[in-house]
Amino acid sequence: MEPLIRVEGVSKCFNRGRPNEIWPVREVSLEIYPNEVVVLKGPSGSGKTTLLGLIGCMSRPTAGKILVKGMDVAKLPERFLTEIRRKTFGFIFQQFNLIKGITVKENIMLPLYPTPLGFKEISQTVNTLMKTLSLEHRADFRVEILSGGEQQRVAIARALVNNPDILMADEPTAHLDSKLSKDLLEILNTLKSKGKTIVIATHDPLVFESNIVDRVYEVRDGSIRASS
Amino acid sequence: MKKYIVFIGIVVIEIVIFLGLLLYGIDKVSEKKAELNTLRQLAHELRLTDFSIWTEARYTRHPSQADWFSAFQDYPSSVEHFPAGSIIPPPELILKEGGS
Amino acid sequence: MKKHLKILEFALSSLLRRKYKNLSIVLVFSMVTFVIASILFLTHSFKKEALSVLEGAPQLIVQRLIAGRHALIPVSYIDEIKKMPGVGKVSPRYWGYYYDQLTGANYTIIGLDRAWSVNGRVMEGTALAPEDIGYCNIGFGVSDRRFLQVGDDLFLQDTKGGLYHFKVKGIFNMKSQLLTNDLVLITKKDFINLFQFPPSMATDLVVEVYNPSEVTNIAKKIKERLPDTRPITHDEILRTYNSLFNWRSGLMLTMFAGAVLAFVILAWDKATGLSAEERQEIGILKAIGWETSDVLALKFWEGASLSIISYLTGIIAAYFHVFFFGASIFAPALKGWSVLFPDFRLVPDIDIYQCFVLFMVTVLPYTVATIVPSWKAAVTDPDSVMRG
Ligand SMILES: Nc1ncnc2c1ncn2[C@@H]1O[C@H](COP(=O)(O)OP(=O)(O)OP(=O)(O)O)[C@@H](O)[C@H]1O
Ligand SMILES: [Mg+2]
Repeated sequence: MEPLIRVEGVSKCFNRGRPNEIWPVREVSLEIYPNEVVVLKGPSGSGKTTLLGLIGCMSRPTAGKILVKGMDVAKLPERFLTEIRRKTFGFIFQQFNLIKGITVKENIMLPLYPTPLGFKEISQTVNTLMKTLSLEHRADFRVEILSGGEQQRVAIARALVNNPDILMADEPTAHLDSKLSKDLLEILNTLKSKGKTIVIATHDPLVFESNIVDRVYEVRDGSIRASS
Repeated sequence: MKKYIVFIGIVVIEIVIFLGLLLYGIDKVSEKKAELNTLRQLAHELRLTDFSIWTEARYTRHPSQADWFSAFQDYPSSVEHFPAGSIIPPPELILKEGGS
Repeated sequence: MKKHLKILEFALSSLLRRKYKNLSIVLVFSMVTFVIASILFLTHSFKKEALSVLEGAPQLIVQRLIAGRHALIPVSYIDEIKKMPGVGKVSPRYWGYYYDQLTGANYTIIGLDRAWSVNGRVMEGTALAPEDIGYCNIGFGVSDRRFLQVGDDLFLQDTKGGLYHFKVKGIFNMKSQLLTNDLVLITKKDFINLFQFPPSMATDLVVEVYNPSEVTNIAKKIKERLPDTRPITHDEILRTYNSLFNWRSGLMLTMFAGAVLAFVILAWDKATGLSAEERQEIGILKAIGWETSDVLALKFWEGASLSIISYLTGIIAAYFHVFFFGASIFAPALKGWSVLFPDFRLVPDIDIYQCFVLFMVTVLPYTVATIVPSWKAAVTDPDSVMRG
């Protein structure tokens, strides 16, 4: 089977040529196949978030190739990267990154605003999504007054709202207790059964030891050691 | 209701009000035309050169007829004087007596 | 279009998050527009009305100067001027000032030596004729100050301290106030008696010129032939008023310069700094699939919605202020210390071009000031938001 994403010898450098030059990702190669749950596992500072950002087209690699559905994204102009981000990836950030001061519903609607969809369609999509994530009773609350678990579900809803093929989750259980973490895995499992591909960066054993995970890449100092 | 509807509503209402005011103005101007003609005639008949706006001194009552070259025409040490002071008032004494 | 409505919707949500801050910006913005628009409206309509009335003023006035001061002119100059080619009728004017001890006001007294009439009503009562000895016409301001009705007597002190009385035959109405507010019209005979005016003298001369384009030329010739005179042309009168109104509006603008400056500082503050929170939000929007142009559209709508509402509110308020409430805030600045001051009832004659310029100097810079600082944040890669 063709991989959905192929990463070939990718490196990323920050502050190149300056005394604080740093290579958080070095010569990484990996493959992600459709409908897989892939975990990037590693200690803090090993470069998981940076790698996730590279795969998700948030930034460009300093060296190497990233093929998303066969397209080399490293060479694409900014406009196409945005489009790929919007159509192919849904992101759940380590810090949720919800926009404070506006409602839960509006936060979830945001990714759809630049699309050709009308308010009615957007509202319908968001309402169904909120129902599946049991958020509908919080729809008109401002996000900052929600609990951590609820905020995370809002972040998941926002990541799913444009129906992406690949869900990227960065330390999704970092702010959750074990009960909520299990709920999250439950949600991810349902998504997997609906055909989504899921990439998770984590160092939480609860996640990478779970049976929904198909493949684990171990990240150490920016390099990959394949396991299982 | 969506916020943008409220916003566009307010803008449209304000534009309509402003256009209404403009039309009202055009109407008033044409209404006033006859009146202005009368005034122009009056200026012609009585051979008036100036407006009766600032009456406190020669050079303010008839700016077009006055000699501009004499300084301090309002009152001694008047600071501003074209055509009438409005920021710094004359000394109280002069105000009370009404000038000249 | 649909996309812009959605972005506008989010822009409004975004503005409403800082309700009080943005409300105060709208307030200050409206105030500044209001002040500038009021001054522009007031000056424009006043100037237009005034200059149109002055079209009726004499073509050429000849004064005499003695020792650099305005002095009475000998009537014999009339013949001298009449001899010049291109000159039509030359006639004397008799007028002067009267300081009224009682009310502290100055009147302008005109000695009438010829019949006059106009189409349309300019007064209550009837117009004074040159043979109406002992009668007068007075301006609205005079009647108001002295509580005079048609048929009452106006008392004026002569040069020896004696009292003259004139029966009020007519009172100029409010509509002609701009020209007549302080006028006292009496016959030439009464004028001469009242002031002990020297015979064979006049206050100045009115010269009629056949060809209006020759006025300046003839003025020059009069000055050459009679070096002690000062000719004043119709154009000079108009120019005097033009610059006078410009000066007054400049003065008013200066008085409110502080408010304008405060606003500029406010806008500058917005333009120069993007808060860390705003930068973060732009990153989030880009990360969830907003294009750079979408982010800039958002910033455009944030600036435009706020400034358009403020601008419209400001000019509408200014219109009401100037044309329905008599520009009550600026009237004192326009009036100065005048005792007799006409009630302005300005015609709402506004210049769309001025409104447009005001738009260009308020809404445009504000909107640009909102967009520009976001530019850099909008074009950078969004991966920084991944690390909070
Ligand atoms: N923009 C940047 N400029 C400079 N250094 C950076 C930048 N982004 C990341 N780094 C560095 O790269 C290294 C890897 O960071 P990264 O966030 O990818 O680690 P991580 O594995 O996600 O850690 P954690 O588990 O704590 O989230 C860190 O040492 C970090 O300081
Ligand atoms: Mg991380």
